[in-house]
Amino acid sequence: MSVLKAQGLGKLYSTKGNLVYKALENIDLEVETGEFVGVMGPSGSGKTTLLNLLATIDRPTSGMIEINGVNPTKLTDNKLALFRRRELGFVFQDFNLLDTLSIKENIILPLVMEGEKPRIIEDRLKPIAEMLQIESILGKRTYEVSGGQKQRAAIARAIIHKPTLVLADELTGNLDSKAAKDVMDSLKEMNEVFRATVLMVTHDPFSASYCQRIIFIKDGKFFSEIRRGSNRQAFFQQILDALSVLGGNFDDIPFARP
Amino acid sequence: MTFRSLALSNVRGNWRSYSAFFLSSVFSVLIFYIYAAFLNHPDVLSGQIIGASKVKIGMQYCLYIIMIFSFLFILYSNSAFLKTRKQEFGLFSLFGMTRSQLRKLVIYENMVIAVLAIAAGIGLGILFSKLFFMALAALLGMDETISFAVPMDAVWLTAGGFFALFLIISIWSVLRIGKQQIIELLKAARQPKGKLTYKKWQVVLGALCLVSGYGMAFVMNSYTFIILSLPILVTVVAGTYFLFTQLSIVFLRFVQKRHGVYYNRTNMLIVAQLGYKIRDNARILFVVSILSAVIMTALGTVYLMQIQGKQDMLETSPFSIAYVERGLHAHEVIDPDQLKRTIAEDGFTVARESKIVGVGLDQYVIEFTGDDSSRLGWGDDPDYRYTSDAMIISVTDYNKLAGEAGREPLVAESGKLTVLYSSFDDSTFGSGTAKGRINGEPVELPVSGSINVSMLNNWLDSNAITLVMDDLGFVNLLASVPEEQQRVFYGYELNNWEESAGLVKKLDGMISEERGGDKDFGRAERFARMKETISLTLFIGMFISLLFFIAAGSMIYFKLFTEIQEDQAQFRGLSRIGMTRKEIRRVVVSQIAIVFFIPCVVGISHALFAMRSLDNMMNTSNWIYSFVVIGIYIVMQTLYFLLASNSYMKSMLRGSAA
Repeated sequence: MSVLKAQGLGKLYSTKGNLVYKALENIDLEVETGEFVGVMGPSGSGKTTLLNLLATIDRPTSGMIEINGVNPTKLTDNKLALFRRRELGFVFQDFNLLDTLSIKENIILPLVMEGEKPRIIEDRLKPIAEMLQIESILGKRTYEVSGGQKQRAAIARAIIHKPTLVLADELTGNLDSKAAKDVMDSLKEMNEVFRATVLMVTHDPFSASYCQRIIFIKDGKFFSEIRRGSNRQAFFQQILDALSVLGGNFDDIPFARP
Repeated sequence: MTFRSLALSNVRGNWRSYSAFFLSSVFSVLIFYIYAAFLNHPDVLSGQIIGASKVKIGMQYCLYIIMIFSFLFILYSNSAFLKTRKQEFGLFSLFGMTRSQLRKLVIYENMVIAVLAIAAGIGLGILFSKLFFMALAALLGMDETISFAVPMDAVWLTAGGFFALFLIISIWSVLRIGKQQIIELLKAARQPKGKLTYKKWQVVLGALCLVSGYGMAFVMNSYTFIILSLPILVTVVAGTYFLFTQLSIVFLRFVQKRHGVYYNRTNMLIVAQLGYKIRDNARILFVVSILSAVIMTALGTVYLMQIQGKQDMLETSPFSIAYVERGLHAHEVIDPDQLKRTIAEDGFTVARESKIVGVGLDQYVIEFTGDDSSRLGWGDDPDYRYTSDAMIISVTDYNKLAGEAGREPLVAESGKLTVLYSSFDDSTFGSGTAKGRINGEPVELPVSGSINVSMLNNWLDSNAITLVMDDLGFVNLLASVPEEQQRVFYGYELNNWEESAGLVKKLDGMISEERGGDKDFGRAERFARMKETISLTLFIGMFISLLFFIAAGSMIYFKLFTEIQEDQAQFRGLSRIGMTRKEIRRVVVSQIAIVFFIPCVVGISHALFAMRSLDNMMNTSNWIYSFVVIGIYIVMQTLYFLLASNSYMKSMLRGSAA
């Protein structure tokens, strides 16, 4: 069953002087339940625009989106916010954790906003925190923990309310390679154990190698798609090959890590 | 782009955070100018306005207060403002702006604000000064109005004074910036919030201070005032400080442990952020609380004094028109028929009247056994021989009056006198003796004690003090005095006596000089005079209070806006993960509401305790008036809050829409 269906998705940016810029053009996309999909492309290819459209924080100028059978473009702002809260989970490059809240409070925020009972909240939190190995830092504040721990907390926040789709945006962009590996392992585990559907935008081939399927876009258009075999190492090589075919500038975030 | 245009565009760019500061400065300048304009008004200087002397000194002091207050306010705002712009200054330094250029930039900016505020303040001041003069003329009861004038002295005083103030403060504050490394400046905004901590001993001390301060205020009366007033002040001020810095955190921690409440939708965000908002603003909240407590207590006290003053007048002058005739049928002071005619002519009616026959006790002295310090009257001391006499009345007459006034009847001891003496602290005298002369003969009469009542006007030469005698003794005494030596007290209480000052003046004119000491028509006039003083005090004080109030609000407003960028970023993130606009509004507005109303609530609580002590001291209870003052304050604070939260919400949503 597909949880995300996008057809002919396009986004035009026009200025007052009638200058039209096509950020995204005629993108078709379908994601099945439990899938782990990556979107890759060079800088300025429209990755972030696509993610924003899927995240329902931006509206497409053409085409349609359906998430779990609902077309979010038809919802009012208020309903849309509730829709995001219930159906989607987000993991951002800059973590987006509130430093006035503890790690635990950050994680349970979606449940609290929904008015869940404290006991149910605790029950939901426990297995996730255990699996992500962040139990020991639950009481800490955001500035007291490392980047990798922050991102794992963000993953916990993204899946605690069992969303239909988890959207991740360059989630390893701010992390060193060890932390990036831990975070990607965690995300994969969430995908496998909790059957969370993940759509991830990245231009880091290593992170991308965790995906089952990768869609490449270039200049706002669909370019190619590759599927992973059994071996991640081989898939990584496959990605590098695809990227060299794709060309373009990938160095807006450096590959080399300290 | 020149250096000056950079400064100008900085002011323009930061306008939203500057605006509250600017408006409060304008208001200070406005009030200062209006007071200065009155003091320097040509008619006031030439002494043409008779009543002006009554308010001149008060206004002079107000000018000093405004200057001192403006100094502190501008100093605070300036340093807080510079702190929020650290990052900007770091960037400027990074681009190679030298330290002295940076200082010049800040001084330029401040001067722009200063010139604008002074110009706007004086302009508005000139506009509103006529209105102020009109109100003042009405309160002073002047027939002609104070003409419109723009005294140049006042303009220069205001402009020069405030310009110097701004200049000194900006020079002082720029000397303090620029000592940090660029990297520290750049990182300033991104410093983590840190943990909310409290020190146990400070929590305990704070709670102890507040409880003991309130406890002392609750029991304080006029006897303990001297010992307790200073400790109360110190403990309450210290307690308030700890309340904001320590107790608030303890309280929020307590809420955070109650998961049922804390994990209830937006409560978590409100409570968690509130802790930081209160901690970061603790000092300002503390100052605002104390300031509002002082304002409310002062206004409440003035009100209370008016009420108390009126009660005192009713106490010392039970009849609005009273006089004593010497001789049973004499009408040397005024003929009652003529008096009543005049009263009727002026459209007044008599509520109750009394005619009481008594016996004069001349050159009296009353001494109390076992109490050498209390003595009433001067006896035959030649220095005071002609000042005042006492009057003896019968207990029947007293009880009749007491019945009218709704007081307990008196049971007189046979052959003994009861002294009517109202003291401020409800104390009474014990037994003693009264000496003096009746009909020229020296007498000595026993006194059984005193009661804390005054039933007849005592501002009369022939009735400086009233003594009550049992009926049998009185009849015998009266029989021994010839009719032409008996004293008769006439008392008339008017309806609407408060407005009878004109009538009283007319009646005064009918009375011969030599018997002027035996009439007391003055209550209406005294009341009018007191009312005028109080309303002038209120009028002048009102502007100062308003200034305090606006400045206090703008400090909170200003502090709020220094954090708006953090809030914007936070709510942008929250709205991405699906927080609705309504929920964001609820979080933001409840936080602003709490920050705005906490000092209000604390201030009111302090003021209530202060007024409670005042009630203790004055032996009155006039809570209604306290509540009027508090009500006005709450209404104004609510208006300010609505304005602030609206404006904050707007710029918040504009910033986080992206």
